[in-house]
Amino acid sequence: MTELLEAAELEKLEEGRLRPAWPRGLPVLLVKTGGAVYALENRCAHMGCPLAAGSLDGYTLQCPCHDWRFDVRDGSFLDAPELRLRTYAVVIQDGKVFIKADL
Amino acid sequence: MKKVTIYALSTCLWCKKTKKYFEDRKVAFEAVDYDKQDEARQEELMAEMRAAGGTGSFPFVKIGGASTQGYDPEEFEKLLNDK
Amino acid sequence: MSIAARKKALRFLFEPVVDKLGYKFTPAEEDADFLLEQEAIIEAETGMPYCPCQARAKDRAENMRMVCPCIPFHRAHYDAMRRCWCGLFVHKDVTDPDKLRQFPEAKMKK
Repeated sequence: MTELLEAAELEKLEEGRLRPAWPRGLPVLLVKTGGAVYALENRCAHMGCPLAAGSLDGYTLQCPCHDWRFDVRDGSFLDAPELRLRTYAVVIQDGKVFIKADL
Repeated sequence: MKKVTIYALSTCLWCKKTKKYFEDRKVAFEAVDYDKQDEARQEELMAEMRAAGGTGSFPFVKIGGASTQGYDPEEFEKLLNDK
Repeated sequence: MSIAARKKALRFLFEPVVDKLGYKFTPAEEDADFLLEQEAIIEAETGMPYCPCQARAKDRAENMRMVCPCIPFHRAHYDAMRRCWCGLFVHKDVTDPDKLRQFPEAKMKK
């Protein structure tokens, strides 16, 4: 069942910055870049490192542990398209960021 | 008999298999564990491997004046038997 | 964490990753156990589960290309061998890994 979960206040998200959130306990990474907000699983597809401590260059997110790189727009791993991060659809309402999650 | 030298890593399974291969063939060889050398010697070994067209992957095996990378008995035999 | 526990954890972490890449742990159980043990020891010493059969460099970017599973960074070479360099992983259809050849990237058939 898909639910809309509140993840953050929009004004708290800074362009080009990574921000962790835990709506209903889910490890989520919020990214505002290119004027849009993206939500991904805050856990690297390699060894599970929290990605919020990584870095962002445009749409490219780099894991702090072993430098695996992902496209925040669709979660894809740049060096092997078969691997990807889970992504969540983002809804912005009344100045708040919500994610759509299947629970 | 050609001189055989094996550059290996102590953590590398195929380096062990390479050493065993030459032992079983009763071919004498010198083995150098790269990870047990000091930094200066490691740099020398790596420069030699790269000059021979290799990378930092082990085992690296010198047979006479030729060399090869990887555990490859077919290639070992070819190099041992090349005139 | 003990080396034995970490070996189990690495297996648990890597299995789903390599599965999506078309690989599996080598069916040669003794080999898999030895290689995982080396990785767990290397990780305990350096913080990274590096490939036990590749020498580490001074450059971080170069080293990150040999953190296990390093398949994504050497795909064409490993696909040609149907195994990764250290042999911990083989293509899913491989039943007898001893028959596979280990050869350098420079000798890859075009």
